[in-house]
Amino acid sequence: MAEQPSWQDVLDLIAQLNESDYESASVQVGDVSIRLSKNDVGFDPGQVAGRVGAQPRIETGFDTPTPSATQPATAAASATQPATAALGDTIDAPMIGVFYRRPSPGAEPFVEPGQRVEADTTIGIIEIMKLMNPIVAGKAGVITDFLVTDADAVEFGQPLATINTSA
Amino acid sequence: MSDVPVILVANRGEIAMRIIAAARRIGASPVLAASVADKDSPAARAADRVIVIGASPANQSYLKPEQVAQAAVMAGAAAVHPGYGFLSEQPALCELLEEEGIAWVGPRPETLRAVGDKGSARQVAIDAGVPVGAGVEIDDPTNVVALGEQIGYPLLIKAIHGGGGRGIRLVTNPEELAELAPQAAAEAVAAFGNGALYLERYYGSARHVEVQVFGDGEGNAWIFGDRDCSVQRRHQKLIEECPAPGLSEKRRALLHDSSRALVKVLRYRGAGTVEFLVDTESEDVIFLEVNARIQVEHPVTEEAFGVDLVAAQLLLALGRDPQLPDVGPVPPAAVIEMRINAEDPDADFQPNSGDITRLVWPRGPGIRIDTQIEEGYRFPPFYDSLMAKLIVRAHNRDAAVAAATAAVRNVTIDGLKTTLPMHAYVLAHPDFIAGGIPTSWFGPVWEARKESLT
Repeated sequence: MAEQPSWQDVLDLIAQLNESDYESASVQVGDVSIRLSKNDVGFDPGQVAGRVGAQPRIETGFDTPTPSATQPATAAASATQPATAALGDTIDAPMIGVFYRRPSPGAEPFVEPGQRVEADTTIGIIEIMKLMNPIVAGKAGVITDFLVTDADAVEFGQPLATINTSA
Repeated sequence: MSDVPVILVANRGEIAMRIIAAARRIGASPVLAASVADKDSPAARAADRVIVIGASPANQSYLKPEQVAQAAVMAGAAAVHPGYGFLSEQPALCELLEEEGIAWVGPRPETLRAVGDKGSARQVAIDAGVPVGAGVEIDDPTNVVALGEQIGYPLLIKAIHGGGGRGIRLVTNPEELAELAPQAAAEAVAAFGNGALYLERYYGSARHVEVQVFGDGEGNAWIFGDRDCSVQRRHQKLIEECPAPGLSEKRRALLHDSSRALVKVLRYRGAGTVEFLVDTESEDVIFLEVNARIQVEHPVTEEAFGVDLVAAQLLLALGRDPQLPDVGPVPPAAVIEMRINAEDPDADFQPNSGDITRLVWPRGPGIRIDTQIEEGYRFPPFYDSLMAKLIVRAHNRDAAVAAATAAVRNVTIDGLKTTLPMHAYVLAHPDFIAGGIPTSWFGPVWEARKESLT
């Protein structure tokens, strides 16, 4: 391994944790330490962010993909660039409102991180004064992360999700 | 619940700064609803929070009622101040907020509707016993001469569904009227989809005088004197003053009493302006319209009477006492406001935008500057050209003109063309110094200056 773990390294770790019987894992590479957990128990974001320091994105990187074992692997297959470059593109809110990831409460999300989308794929809904507006990805690629949670109020231009357009 | 109410400021530029200052004054927390272009503006820095409501063009941000209402909900606003322009006189935003239980800093939606349309505003004025211009609707454009006699010449043919000065014709005699009325009807059909016409007496040499009112929403009114806004170019006000110079006691009483009657009939809520045409060739005083908002030129009234009208608006909207005094018809001081626009007065007042590289304001007693600009500010191209309002107060009009002249001379704005040279010229003109010029004065005077320079 190089001095700093690459995005690929982190995704590999996640895949391995998912396939294992371990609840959590802690890895130290040079001056970067990574803690992974299948649930929130014993997870201290402040501590992790503090230790990871220069690459805080890693923290959110493993937070959402864990529920599904296959998706991180999909992303991992092509994520050969460093984490920051892969996360460079964002899908921004085209309007102010409340962002929903699901067509209705309790329904499956439109898309999950790790999923491939086309420019016209709906990734969510923004509600503005009771009017529902479907939000499309606007570009093709693999959704790497959602930056807002379901039912969050968002402003115009606020990044909603990260997308790897070179995937 | 916090006892610090949040005020959403749904505007930009100098009036956003002004509303933020008023919110601070009453101990409220100002939150700015801004377009992308304004998200790092001086007003954004002055507010407690900024919510980006849309893209830079106003029709994708400041003119969208749903987006502003959404921002108000997100901010947890107790009230929304719309400023002037944009959505300030649109019932749509007002009603969206009503549904959310958020107060609107302005009159009720039904008031906005009643005064927002020429025809209904005229009817309200008639109901209130306010003098309106002699006017009559035309049923048959081929048979108008008798109607013309009824009104007198010169008169204007107006398209009822026209607006913004379009579809208006000046007629000086019966032959012209007979010839032009059918043409005007045909054009109105083509332009506005409706050929309805209206004849109105034309005043070629009238002043624009307006009365500042503040209604408690129950029919009671505070009257804060009058303003003269007759220095105009193509219906755009350039200089305003309080009080209007040279009004007889009788005329002033008619203007103020008429305005009070309108407030009563409308049960008007909050700050408003009643505009009149005051003829310089006859004793006629004619109701023009009610502006159901705070106006650009409100500071001259504030300075003349020593009140804070914007703070009073906020207090009333929050259900509190607006803390306004009862005052006499004439203020104890004279105040003049110069609108400094990012326009080149030597190039047909063409707007320009760019970086303000150097900025120096005059200081001294009675000088107030309402502005959003500062050194290094990039004046954006998306919005109107108002950069700052320079407001100067003195003990009487002569002293105010002298002080305004000195103040204008001591402003430095580098990086953009501004209307400052125009102000210097007007303030030094004997007609302006004498007071009481009509709205038709500025255009030809400025043209004559241009010709004298070439």
